Amino acid sequence: MNFHFNEEEQEILDMLHDYAVKEVAPRAHEIDEEERFPQEAREGLAEMGMMGMYFPEEYGGAGLSYLSYIAVCEELAVHCATTSVVLSAHESLCCWPIFKYGTEEQKQKYLTPLASGEKLGAFGLTEPGAGTDAAMQKTVAKDEGDHWVLNGSKVFITNAQYADTFVVFAMVYRPDYKERPYTNKDISAFIVEKGFEGFSVQGHEMKMGIRGSSTCSLYFDNCIVPKENLLGEQGKGFKIAMTTLDGGRIGIAAQAVGIAQGAINETVAYTKERVQFGKPIWKFQNTQFQLADMQAKVDAARLLIYRAAQAKQDGEAHSHLAAMAKLVASETASDVARRCVQLVGGNGYSREYPFERHMRDAKITEIYEGTSEVQRMVIAGWLGATK
Amino acid sequence: MEILVCIKQVPDDSEDIRLDNVDKVTRVVNAFDTYALEMAARCKEANGGSVTVATIGDDSAVTELKSCLAVGAQKAFLIKDPAFAEYDSVAKAKILAAAIGKIEEANGAKFDIIFCGKEATDFAKGMVGIQLASELGVGVTTDVVAVDPVDGGVSVKQETETGYNVIEMATPCVVTIQKPDYDPRYPTIKSKMAARKATINEVEVAVDDAGSLTKVLKLYEPPKKQAGIKIQEETVADSTIRAVAIMAEAKVL
Repeated sequence: MNFHFNEEEQEILDMLHDYAVKEVAPRAHEIDEEERFPQEAREGLAEMGMMGMYFPEEYGGAGLSYLSYIAVCEELAVHCATTSVVLSAHESLCCWPIFKYGTEEQKQKYLTPLASGEKLGAFGLTEPGAGTDAAMQKTVAKDEGDHWVLNGSKVFITNAQYADTFVVFAMVYRPDYKERPYTNKDISAFIVEKGFEGFSVQGHEMKMGIRGSSTCSLYFDNCIVPKENLLGEQGKGFKIAMTTLDGGRIGIAAQAVGIAQGAINETVAYTKERVQFGKPIWKFQNTQFQLADMQAKVDAARLLIYRAAQAKQDGEAHSHLAAMAKLVASETASDVARRCVQLVGGNGYSREYPFERHMRDAKITEIYEGTSEVQRMVIAGWLGATK
Repeated sequence: MEILVCIKQVPDDSEDIRLDNVDKVTRVVNAFDTYALEMAARCKEANGGSVTVATIGDDSAVTELKSCLAVGAQKAFLIKDPAFAEYDSVAKAKILAAAIGKIEEANGAKFDIIFCGKEATDFAKGMVGIQLASELGVGVTTDVVAVDPVDGGVSVKQETETGYNVIEMATPCVVTIQKPDYDPRYPTIKSKMAARKATINEVEVAVDDAGSLTKVLKLYEPPKKQAGIKIQEETVADSTIRAVAIMAEAKVL
């Protein structure tokens, strides 16, 4: 397998690197400390055309490869994990299902302003009682003839406060639901706009890491959704959610590797400056070997990510590949970030330095868009079915 | 307004530059030229016209010219001259002046105004813009932070050590650009991709008396500063006596 970027892609990635170094990195600390949404980067990335980079130009995108999008998720996370997840939740979880399952009208109406970066997207699947067990949806959509009425709530929704368009999942109401409980075959997907009657975004989760990302709850109180905003076929919502998350996981895996690479880069620089026992601590074999191990593991994770991204790009089965990439990348990120704090010592624990932020940011990659346990379920499912 | 922005390739000063590695350092567009291009692009967007960029150099300058096409320039010209590195500012001004006529011919329009960075970040001489104006026989204002069209010319805002001068100039004219209170724009994916495909026009000029008036004989690093001598006598008088004695010994008195 060859994961080289072509000259054009490399130039775009260099351009993004330049932007990230000058505009994203200097704000990462402040965004974390103040729990502030990275609005400047959201606007800057939109202006550059990064908010829909792998969607076709006819729908407002830039028509670049999925692999280069994944490299962008990583590059942003090297400097600021919050900024990376804003982009990845928008593109992977909102733009993609509309692109994949939307009607031409839905793509024109919703995908075009999303992919051009004019509007921001979010994804509403998780509920208070439906996390890893996503099929336990309590949000219900009732067919009222010329429109749908949604009732229920969602939690932990990334981008929520700043999003204009939401892909939301709900059980389609059946009168016999008491005798015959809802199953995942009753789940459908809907496109909900900010401002729809009966729809509100509330609260702001106080999180351990990625503190600048907006994580809120969604409430549907007799929310009226136009009939034509059903996304994909009725009853296919669970499949839409799962295939969307297969892609999302590659983005989160890239975010994890970015966090880990950022931690390594900063630690190498720090240990070359920090003098103990008469020499920079970089000169000690323990420092070098630990960092060498970390870099090797990060590169291994990156290759898994590229393999999954390439498979998705080529339209091949990639559910298990995405799960492997996310499992390895996220656990590597947490391990690397923790070890970097240890190498740096007291300053690693201080909020004056970025090391403890990397550690807090890394942890979420083992949890959202499917916990590590879910990834193991997916991988084991594939193993059981194919080996 | 028809605007020409003259740019120069310089070593990227975000990298470690030493005399023994300067050839290996990444080349970028001189920072003051990027401010000039941004100001020109804003001027064009507000008032119409077009922005052309030009540089003297070899094929390696194509990358920088394309990067300018991605951030506001519509046309780019490479004034091809393999000996460009040897020219001093007077020679460069003469070549630019001769090339401008050819570029105007190719563009089908005369330039109203020529922007140069106030200096290059490598040698920081700040002379080409002024000498170019002299070669062209037009007016020049240095350290400009704003340009606005007025009847028959432009009004420019010049930054000085004590404040600003607002000067009206007849066009055509030359301005050298100081850093304004905004930053150059970033390229977009679309502008970058379009710039990649763009053609860089080439111009060759023959200038008989383009020979440099100055010659660089040697480039060397200044000697490292010796550690100083601390004079800490008990009284001022004793310190003075000691200082004079040291200076006499070093034969500086």
